[in-house]
Amino acid sequence: MHARRRAKATPTVVPAAGVAGAPSAADVEPERAAPSSRRLEVITASVTLGASVAGFALAQAIELRTETGGVDPRFWPTVLSILGGALSIALLLIAIVRPPFDRSDLETSNRQGWMRLGASLISAVLFVALWQLTGYLVATPLFLAALLLIFGGRGWKTLVLFPVITTALTYLLFHSLLKVPL
Amino acid sequence: MNPLLSGLEALIDPTVFVCLGLGLVLGMLVGAFPGITATMAVALASGFTLTLEPVQGLAVLLTIYVAANFGDRVPAILVNTPGTPASIATTLDGYPMAKQGRAGLALVISALGSAIGILASMILFAAAAIPIARLALEFGPSEMFALVLFGLTIMISISSRSIIKGVLSGVLGLALATIGRDPITGDQRFTFGINELSGGVDFIAVIIGVFGIAELFDQLLTHHAAKLRPISSLGRWWPTKSEYRQMGRPLAVGGTVGLIVGVIPAAGGDIAGLIGWDRAKRASKHPEEFGKGSIEGVTASDTASSATLGGSLTTTMALGIPGDSVMAVMIGSMIIWGIQPGPSLFTNRPDLVVSITAIMVIATLLSLAISLVRMRGMVKLLDVPVHYLWATILMFCIVGTYATTNNIFTVVVMLVAGIVGLIMKRTGFPAGPLVLGLLLGPLAESNLRRALLIEGPIGLVNHPISAVLIGLALLAIIAPIVGRLRQRRKTQATLPEKIDSLP
Repeated sequence: MHARRRAKATPTVVPAAGVAGAPSAADVEPERAAPSSRRLEVITASVTLGASVAGFALAQAIELRTETGGVDPRFWPTVLSILGGALSIALLLIAIVRPPFDRSDLETSNRQGWMRLGASLISAVLFVALWQLTGYLVATPLFLAALLLIFGGRGWKTLVLFPVITTALTYLLFHSLLKVPL
Repeated sequence: MNPLLSGLEALIDPTVFVCLGLGLVLGMLVGAFPGITATMAVALASGFTLTLEPVQGLAVLLTIYVAANFGDRVPAILVNTPGTPASIATTLDGYPMAKQGRAGLALVISALGSAIGILASMILFAAAAIPIARLALEFGPSEMFALVLFGLTIMISISSRSIIKGVLSGVLGLALATIGRDPITGDQRFTFGINELSGGVDFIAVIIGVFGIAELFDQLLTHHAAKLRPISSLGRWWPTKSEYRQMGRPLAVGGTVGLIVGVIPAAGGDIAGLIGWDRAKRASKHPEEFGKGSIEGVTASDTASSATLGGSLTTTMALGIPGDSVMAVMIGSMIIWGIQPGPSLFTNRPDLVVSITAIMVIATLLSLAISLVRMRGMVKLLDVPVHYLWATILMFCIVGTYATTNNIFTVVVMLVAGIVGLIMKRTGFPAGPLVLGLLLGPLAESNLRRALLIEGPIGLVNHPISAVLIGLALLAIIAPIVGRLRQRRKTQATLPEKIDSLP
């Protein structure tokens, strides 16, 4: 296998930590594991607290066409924002007084990764804009070629042939077979 | 017409077989590529199956679900990297077997275990789904609210290392579900004058964002060059008679574990595989061989993780509560098709339940056949350069999302959901409860408000079923917290002894 092919598995569910005798295969190698961070925990809890407060304020501002008593359209968003606020305060307290959460199931990020992510996001936004302006058949091969270049692909087959063929196939699939107006 | 006959007749359509074939290829491919989960693939495929008829669409999605359970064992055995989380336990004995020159044997045993696990679980689905659905038909608003609460808390307790973060994720999902029209009065909430939000946040876009885009972004962020190469010598393929005999006990143990875990909402193949492996080790005459290339270990882990599929399907179709994260995505697609999974499905569309069962069985048999015949070819798939994968996934996520509404606003929602999903992943907030909250939010809110308007708060606890479900929901939250506190105390108690024993 090519050296770079071994992309990590990304479990969406944490394996049963309590399974005695079963080694956890979800945790990444220690040297690649993301470090714990108290600052990150505090920021996260503060953001969720801020969002809960904003949610509470917005819930009180919901305009009602008819008054139906206490159990009206404001009721559920208010309950959720209060619950979210209480949990955020608990999270903030835990972040301050307890050791930060273990992040060994996540891989550490690197500068190259941030650049790759940023460039992909910018390309995606430009693609959406270009699609509206020039249409699918022009925007998509350019988008794919840009992405392949960002991800390390080189050569005319990768940067020209692959984007053109993929665009043609997806156009055939979506526009011609599934009748999606692209 | 008889539902059984009409359900089977719907599959005779040649387009269904094309869809089965497409799902089979996609499922095997996504399973074989580490990093692309079945949830991500089904979320992605849901974008372009929405224009199909329900049976055709389900044929694609369910076959991906099944086939990914076969394809993901290939990298688990050959490169010690699970193709999807469901094959985590396969690595424990599969890779050691491959290192001993028995990769072919491990692949065949794994495929047989997976097929037997899924087929056994479909018997459970056929036997249990109708009685469970019949019971759930009696549910009023209190019971329905309690059921949703139970499903959410179970997912939170299973999917999160931090219960608080899990609950917050669920609350965020429920809050997102309040955007749009109120389910009872029709009042606009949190739409800020944006027309596209009046119908609510597009959940397919959110699902593709948090399961597809967020996973991809995380890979872009953390990808490192690795030096391991897959095992190239596959050795003998077919088991001997004594090796078949060795598979008997772990098949029974793994199958039982998988069936039980599968029925629990939100518990998936990864958990079942690890528990099945552990239980089979305890039941084995040769526990010392586990972890060193045991045939029993591979059989137990793969049977257990695959046997969850029927249980998950039972919970999803009979109760409307997703059995695992793939099923959460599936519910989203079914709602778009105008089909509400849950007890009413069995009275309104019994033919569709038959079609679903038949698709699962056919998909399992086809996946088994492909696994036994084409495993050698699949090894070559691991050589596809990662830049092709990433570019194609990102493009398909964008185009697939656009296809759901033909509106670019949905693509923006998907990209925002992807960034939020990435932040959640990096900060330890599970995505499962968010999606579940978003899907079940309207059901939870409308039933809670109806229950409160009819009987007041006491109505939630004076019905036996709702009282039991609320009790179980509380237990699902409290039990892990108590368990972790006990574990921490135990660790603290033994720490001084360990320090004293140091030289």
